[in-house]
This record gives sequence, C-alpha cells and structure tokens, in this order.
Amino acid sequence: MIAQTAGAEGTSLGYLMLILLSATFTDNILLTRFLGMCSFLSISQQLKSAVGLGVAVVFVTTITGALNAALYKYAIVPANEHFGVPLGLQFIVFIVVIAGVVQLLEMLIERVSLSLYYALGIFLPLITVNCAILGACLFLVNLGFHRNLLEATMFSFGSGFGWMLAIVAMAGIRSKLKNQYIPLGLQGPGITLIITGIIALAFIGFSGMVQLAK
Amino acid sequence: MITVLAATLLVAGVSAVLAAILLVAERRLVAYGTCTIDINQGARTLEVEGGGTLLASLMANRIFIPSACGGRGTCAYCKVKVLEGAGPLGPTEEPLLSKEEVAANVRISCQCKVRQNVRIEIPEHLFSVKEYRARVETISDLTHDIKLLRIRLLDPDTLEFVAGQYVQLQAPAYGDNPDPVYRAYSMASPPSDSHVIELIIRLVPGGICTTWVFEMLKEGDEVLLNGPYGDFRLSDSQREMIWIAGGSGMAPFWSIIRHMDEKGIARKCTYFFGANKKRDMFLVDEFRAIEKKHDWFTFVPALSDPAAGSDWDGERGLITEVVDRRVEAGGEKEGYLCGSPGLINAAIKIIKAKGVPENCIYYDKFE
Amino acid sequence: MTLTPTAIAGRRALVAQLWDENPIFRQVLGICSALAVTNLVFNTLLMCAGLIWATALSSATFSLLRNYIPARVRMIIQVLIIAVYVIMVDIAIRAYYPDIYQMIGPYVGLIITNCIVMGRLEAFASKNRVWPSALDGLGSGLGYSFILLSVACVREYLGFGALAGYKVPDPGQLTQYLASAGAWVVNLFGHVEAPQVAGWWKAWTLMIMPPGAFFVLAVAVWIARTYALRREAAAQPKKGGAS
Repeated sequence: MIAQTAGAEGTSLGYLMLILLSATFTDNILLTRFLGMCSFLSISQQLKSAVGLGVAVVFVTTITGALNAALYKYAIVPANEHFGVPLGLQFIVFIVVIAGVVQLLEMLIERVSLSLYYALGIFLPLITVNCAILGACLFLVNLGFHRNLLEATMFSFGSGFGWMLAIVAMAGIRSKLKNQYIPLGLQGPGITLIITGIIALAFIGFSGMVQLAK
Repeated sequence: MITVLAATLLVAGVSAVLAAILLVAERRLVAYGTCTIDINQGARTLEVEGGGTLLASLMANRIFIPSACGGRGTCAYCKVKVLEGAGPLGPTEEPLLSKEEVAANVRISCQCKVRQNVRIEIPEHLFSVKEYRARVETISDLTHDIKLLRIRLLDPDTLEFVAGQYVQLQAPAYGDNPDPVYRAYSMASPPSDSHVIELIIRLVPGGICTTWVFEMLKEGDEVLLNGPYGDFRLSDSQREMIWIAGGSGMAPFWSIIRHMDEKGIARKCTYFFGANKKRDMFLVDEFRAIEKKHDWFTFVPALSDPAAGSDWDGERGLITEVVDRRVEAGGEKEGYLCGSPGLINAAIKIIKAKGVPENCIYYDKFE
Repeated sequence: MTLTPTAIAGRRALVAQLWDENPIFRQVLGICSALAVTNLVFNTLLMCAGLIWATALSSATFSLLRNYIPARVRMIIQVLIIAVYVIMVDIAIRAYYPDIYQMIGPYVGLIITNCIVMGRLEAFASKNRVWPSALDGLGSGLGYSFILLSVACVREYLGFGALAGYKVPDPGQLTQYLASAGAWVVNLFGHVEAPQVAGWWKAWTLMIMPPGAFFVLAVAVWIARTYALRREAAAQPKKGGAS
C-alpha cells in the first residue's frame, strides 16, 4: 500500500505517478465520482466522436485545472483569510475561467488546424457546462491538491484522461451492442448505465493498488 | 462591507483579465485578412473580409445564392461548387451532400468559411438575381389560412421572370428571432406586369416567416425580397399537360395560366387542384372563367373531406384519386406538380402509373 | 378561490414536472449528483433541499429579469444567478454539517452546472411569469428529489440496513419475522420451531459503491421508461383518414 498526504513537502515523481494512477483508475472521475454523465450518455454511441470529445476534455481539464488551482491558491484563499470572502466564490471564478479557456482554445484550434477543429473543436462549446470539468476543479480543491501546482496539473490531466478512457471504452462496447436485442425501456440511457456499472465494477479491481490519504 | 467589495473585485478582476485575453486572441487569431473570391473563372472577382461564411460574403456583394434556412445548415439550397480554397469538408456539410457532390467539390456555402482566396463556380442565372425593395400594396384573404400579397417593386422597380419561378421574401428579426430569415414563395402573378408581383402564402403554425406575414405585416409596409429563382416553368414541348397542386401550390399555376391566357399559348392542359374542405378552396370562379374562355383548359377542383351536407358540386376525394379517375393514358403527356412533399410523392406515383415518362414530370416541392 | 390563468399555468407546471415531464426519466438529465450522493439518505435530503432552493429561486429570479437581459449574455447571467443561490446552500451546509460537506461538497457546487436547473431556466423561466416559473422550478426540484430519494432508500437500505441513519429491519430480519409469523400460525395446529433464517442477509456493500448506483438508477429508469412508453402508445390516436 502506498500512501502519502496531498501537498506534502517534496513532491516526488513517484507521488506524481500515484496521483495520475489514482485519478485515472481508482478514483475515475466518471466511474467513481459520477461526473460528466450527460455528454457521456449521448456521445458514447460512436467511437469517432467519443475519441474527439475525450481528447477535448483532456485538453480543457488539464489547462483549466492548473489555472483554477493557481487562482484558488493565490486569490481565493487569501481573500477568504483577509477579507472574509466566502470560499463558495470558487464556483463563479472557476466557471468563468472554464468558459474563457474553452473559447480561447476553440479559436486557437480553428486557426492552427482546420481538420483538428472539425474533429474536436465542435465539442468544445458542449463541454463548457460539462460537470466533469468543473467537478475536477472542485475535487482538486477538496482533496487539497491546489497547494502544489504540479500535483494539481497531474490530477487534472489524470481526471480528463480517465474520463476519456471511460467514454472510449463505452463507445467500443456500444458499437458491439448495436445488433443485440435490448428491451424497449432499457434502450439508450438504461443499458448505458448498466454497462457503466459493470465497467465501474471492473475498475474497483484497481482500488487498493493506490491510496491517497486526505 | 469589505467582504462584498473584495468578492466583487475578485470576480470582476478575473472576468476582466479573461475578457481582455479573449479580445486580443480574437483580433490576432480570427483575423484572416482580405481574401479574393474568383467566380466562374474570372467572370467576377470579389474582395471580402476573411472569416465570414461563403454565403454571407457573396450576399454582401449582391450575389444571391438561394437559401431557405437562414444559414443554419439545414435546407441545403445554398450549394456552391468551390474549385479551390475551401478547406476540409466540415461536419455540418457532410450530411447534406451526396458522394458525387463531394467528389465534384460542391460545398454548403453557409457552413463554409472564407479563410483564404477561393475559386468558385455558380450557375449563370444567379448573376441575374437581384435584391428588391418593395411595398406591400394589398393583403387579401383567400381562405382562413391563406393570404394573397400584392407587392409593388420600388428599387429596382421591375422584376423580369419566367412564369413558375419564385422569390425569397425576407422576414425581419422579430420577437424570439434575432436574425432575419428568407423564405421562398412562388410568384402567382403573370410576368407581363413586371412592376408588381403577387405571392400566395399559407400560414404554417410556428413558421417564422408566415407568422410574421399573418400577424405583423400590414398594407403599406416595405419588404425586402430577392430573385428570381427556380426552374419550374412550361417546357418547350407541345405535350398535353397535367397540373396537380394543393394549398399554396396554386401560386405558380395561377401565374402560368394567366400568362398562357395573355400570350395565347394554347396548349391542352388539365389542372387538378385539391383541398380539404370548401373553406380551403379558392380562386375557383377565376379558374372557371378561364375554363369557359378556352377549350384547351380544364379545371378540376376536388375536396378530400367536405363537410356533411356541403353544397360542393365538384369532385370529391383525394386529389390523387381524382387524377386516377379522370386521366387515361399518360404516355404522351407531361406532369407539373406543386405542393407539399407528401402530395408530390403521391402524385408522382399516380401519374407514373398512368404512363407519363419520368423525364416529363416537373415539380416544385414546398418543404 | 378562482384560479387565474397564471395560477393554473403554475400549478400545471408543478404537477407536470413531478411525473410526466420528470426530467430524469424523460431525458435522463442531471444524474451526476443523482448517483454520487445517494448512498446515504440524509446526504440526499440535504442535496435535494439545496437543489429545490436553487432551482425554484433562480427560476423566479431569471423570470423576473427575462425581459432585460440581452441575448448574448443570457447564458452567463443564468449561470451567475444560479451560482448565487448555490453559494448560499454551500455556506449553509459548510456551516451546519461540516462532516457531510467533506463528502458531498463538490456536488453541491455542481448544482450550478446541473442540466436540470439550466434546462428549466432556458425552457420555462425565459418565457413565463415569475410565479409559474417558481412553481415550475419547485416542481422539477421535487421530481428530482423523488427519484434521488427512491434510489437512496434502496441503496442505503440494502447497503447499510438503515434509512437516514436509523436502523431498520434488514431483509434477513424481515424474512425472520415472516418465518416466525408463519411458524406461529402453524403452531396453532401442532408444535413447530420457528426456523432461524435472519442470518442469510449480509450487507450488500455493492449497493453503496459506485456500480450499485449505476445499477439501481438503471433499473429505476427502466421501470419509468417502460411505463411512460406504454402510456404513450396507449394515447396514440388510431391512425386513418386522409390528411
């Protein structure tokens, strides 16, 4: 069992790998923390769009996670300590940052590569209100990773990557299911939830591999 | 107090920084400079601001490509052949184009952005499409849900067209609709009077343009329209014609029959017009008058669902059933169809069954 | 009391949101938090209270302001309005239930991006008056709570053998009661020992883990959708007649 406290002095590469593994597998943002279900349920029908959306999520989560961690550490906490500003203000600040970053990213991608833009740029507006991104930032704060920006970035990347793994796996499975019989009431979200549950069951096998103390 | 101040400052500060970054980025990233659009191998060259859609850039230069959905990428009217400079095919264009069209470099111009110099090809007749400022002279009710608009052209003040063509009427932004939209309506007036056009408009529940026409447009109002468009017109042959229409599909035929009457085009023709109930039928007396005047024209109106005890003395039943009853051999005839897609599909079936050759069937589908 | 059109619209909106148009069943929206907090009934109660508060009040507020907001900034203003009420909830839970806050804190914040809240603002509050909007928000909050509490009851009961922290007879004990009752009846005719069957039930831990949440919700959606589909099929008018 490997355990270490978040934000501890002297972040080692090993610890960073721990964070990555935990965010991707044992505390998968979708399979364990249930975030980002809406777009997950609708986009997971086709492998191509699933990959596109997944990559977009990874990009946005990493960048905004790092940014928001910095903002929380250097702006919100001091404001709370010195001026009594409620910590809940993080909600507004995080959302504004996410919206801004997504727009910026959209412009950048459109300029740099049109084919990339057509592959994943169209998903960007979709994920502005995706709870996975905001959730990753909130969990980042909740677990204390904002104290070390490197850890924060790793955690955000891991969360995004874990989400992408889940949606790509789901897309693969659903494309196999296309020709199978599914009862009418279960079609669509119902069967997707059951499959997600089974994948989540499988991922539980990873727990115990890594443990991050609070 | 200081808490509120600090909180507001924090949020405002972050938003301001982001907004500034976005503005700068937009300036630097989205600026594509001036691009040239070369039309029909140099027949015309336009200089436009890069970044806009091809459709918008062309329209800004008074070249009107047909468009029914206002640039939303749903109607597929605005297809343009782009020989070079369009970039990769966009995901919103793909579902609207067939494989042959993609291979021929056809693009959906409202979804295709001008980011660099482009070379395009458009049909010649689109050059003669102009935008017109006009005034609504009269609005009269033909039925409970169909109106006749009589529109006088102001600038330019004449519109040359072939009977059967259509114009696009602009419904300005109103209510929940932030942008103006264009909708196509066939001209119901004969081409002889080129200063005035008539349109027959049927109210579509929830329709953006028809709601505007029915609820907001008043006599004396100025409107914008562009045209003429369309290939629906009398053919060059002398074959006997079968006309089938329903609802506002009456419009092109009202134009064509008056044109034939004025110019003495004496081609044998039977016009089947279908409506639901007697209150949905219109222009019956006018068509009967023309029928009396000319022996080459027969008018067959039919009601599919007349009210019990109605005094309707014409045919009854679905218009396609009436056609079935009244038309014999169709091998030497031509079919002209105008109305909803459902009507047209059913009508095509029935006249093909009567023997009318497929390349002699002309239609104008009102989606 | 005469019902004004506004009152009727409001009431209808509220009732509609409870079942017919229940957002979770119809569109399977906003289930992120539905899965996360439902392992304990008490946490679910807090979450639902927070969501009802936020949805009803932000619907009302947005409806109040709907004619003064330019189209371009509409989404941002919606988010800000919801954020204000959610921050209130956040402060309240942080203060009164700090232990629970550790568990569900981020999900409280996620009420802001909950598709249900934004969806109701966009679909209803942007076009209707204040009171009907408030009732519509209340209705969707209640509909949402109904589902969440059902799922939570199942999960906590099967997983912990308790409801909202209060120990209740678990399936093993219930079977025991049944068996004992049966034995008592049979005893009237001849002596019989009550079988000891209580022990067969072990806490079903899977229920309180994430997969359990997915499965229970899937079953709930299955039942609701089958029922709704049957009702829709029955309500179809018989086809026929020319159009």
